[in-house]
Amino acid sequence: MATVLAPESDPPVDTTRARQPDATGFIERDGVRVFWERYGEGAPTLLLMPTWSLFHSRHWKFQIPYLARLFRVVTFDGRGNGRSDRPEESAAYADTEYVADALAVLEATDTHRAVVIGMSMGAGYALRLAAEHPDRVLGAVFIGATIPILDRDPATPEIQVDPSFEEPPTDDSDRGTYYNANYWRRDYPGFAAWFVGEKVFTEPHSTKQIDDGIGWALETDADTLVTLEYGSYLSPPEDWEREPADGRALLFARRVRCPALVIHGDDDHISRWAVGERLARELHAPVLTIAGGGHAPQARWPVLVDRAIRDFVRGLEVSP
Amino acid sequence: MITSDRAPTRTDDSGRARLPDRSGYTTAGDGVRLAYDVYGSGEPTLLFLPSAPIVHSRQWKGQVPYFSRTHRVVTYDGRGNGLSDRPTTPEAYHDDLMTSDIASVMDATGTERAVLIGLCVDGVWRSIRLAAEHPERVLGIVAFGIGVPRIGPVQEHYKTAGAQFDDELPVYQGWGNYNRHIWTSDYERFARFFFTEITSEPHSTKAIEDATRWAVDGSVDAMLAEREAAFPWDLEGIEATVGNVRCPILLVHGTEDTCQRPERAQRLAELTGAPLVLVEGADHMIPGRHPVLANLLIRDFIRSLPEASNDGR
Repeated sequence: MATVLAPESDPPVDTTRARQPDATGFIERDGVRVFWERYGEGAPTLLLMPTWSLFHSRHWKFQIPYLARLFRVVTFDGRGNGRSDRPEESAAYADTEYVADALAVLEATDTHRAVVIGMSMGAGYALRLAAEHPDRVLGAVFIGATIPILDRDPATPEIQVDPSFEEPPTDDSDRGTYYNANYWRRDYPGFAAWFVGEKVFTEPHSTKQIDDGIGWALETDADTLVTLEYGSYLSPPEDWEREPADGRALLFARRVRCPALVIHGDDDHISRWAVGERLARELHAPVLTIAGGGHAPQARWPVLVDRAIRDFVRGLEVSP
Repeated sequence: MITSDRAPTRTDDSGRARLPDRSGYTTAGDGVRLAYDVYGSGEPTLLFLPSAPIVHSRQWKGQVPYFSRTHRVVTYDGRGNGLSDRPTTPEAYHDDLMTSDIASVMDATGTERAVLIGLCVDGVWRSIRLAAEHPERVLGIVAFGIGVPRIGPVQEHYKTAGAQFDDELPVYQGWGNYNRHIWTSDYERFARFFFTEITSEPHSTKAIEDATRWAVDGSVDAMLAEREAAFPWDLEGIEATVGNVRCPILLVHGTEDTCQRPERAQRLAELTGAPLVLVEGADHMIPGRHPVLANLLIRDFIRSLPEASNDGR
């Protein structure tokens, strides 16, 4: 059984929320408790996936109140932040664990099938879920997808652990300085401010989103994120055939059978627009390009993103 | 005749959420041309007043698209900014003219009666004057950032900066930017300072940027002329005018308003018996900074008006 650090106490009800959940609960797998919420009564169900545990499920704050009027919405705090546990082993943060948590949350909320929606690393979790459990996924939306799909292009180093990650910063680029375990442990708030304020939200007039994002980041800690960094991410099963030059996320994309939508900013400083475009091409999915958009359009361009999700879901042929 | 120091402009028109159904000009009594826009249909007509010449009608961008769905909406650029003429003589900004401009626009747009919605002195005091002098034309008033002169204290920084407005200062810091020499040499610097000061809540960068741009659309000479315009009212006259208003009024004021002190709102509430919504933590620019709150307050106020207000024009 994994060693688990639980949040010390339940947080008070956040009365500033535009919409309170209709039901909440925990699933537990291998001693790790994961907190979920359910909203609304419509159909189909939308499963809003966790992302990198720098954030928790409040990164969907602009989607939940709107989409819950139209559909049934389920979300959960990814292990490592929010009200979910912080396991102390890297293996507990493998993408397969997030996918298994998602399946357990679907069970706990009596959800047979759902439209899965993921942002950044959450798009990777959604991709794996859609590829490996097609019977549970009606459709998939990938926002600012941060996935290794352009392997010959080193544009997405953030999802590979660089050997220098644990060493004292050696190069003087901002990434070399800040994306470093030593720096995180020494000045985690400084890292959060840099990452959220300068890399995630690059659009003007993002001060509220940046405040929110740093606040969510400060609900976890450096040790948790360093542990998570070594969790495996989109490693295909050994028996899957692959071409050496393919980005490994392509192998997952090729197994997706459901309709999909890709949303990507053309000024994404975390995961280049080409990543989303490549994913869309593989999925034969439309790509909604947000001109001037950064990495987290669901928070910075919520009306645009919410309407795109609404129209995508309405366009699915859903049997009751 | 009218002299304008630059051609009328109103940038920021391309990104509008709602385009006007009809636009036009009316000519005021002194020959100044005023540009208006009309949107939507549905009674009563809502007339959003300008805070000119510092900004133009885009100041209501957070209101126009929402209310155009359910009401006829009229806006206009006040003299000195936007697409309206920019006279540069103080006489052109006399209180009588600024008030009669409202009626001119109502006449030109076929608006017999309307709910008036305004911000600060240009929006609030002049709607009160029109309601007092032409009660048949004003169904109600929603007043933000209550700007009625003399009924309460002026912010100290206006007194200090106003006293040395024409002086050359060794340094121009803070409210020292409220100075003729900054206006004429770097008007954008003043505008950015001013709107940063009066939009002081966190997360106001867009509201500040918008207002600064609308200011720069305008005319420094118009601002200087307006500053020297006569305001021929003493406290007694103002209170008598306020006392003559019979239509329903709603007052909305931020507790942290750094342009108009909350005492003015409190006093106007006493004088009129109108309800006052004090918005905790809000500064002066509530319609731009808190559009949902402002819109719901306006909507509920309109719904509360007597049935006759909705019987057609």
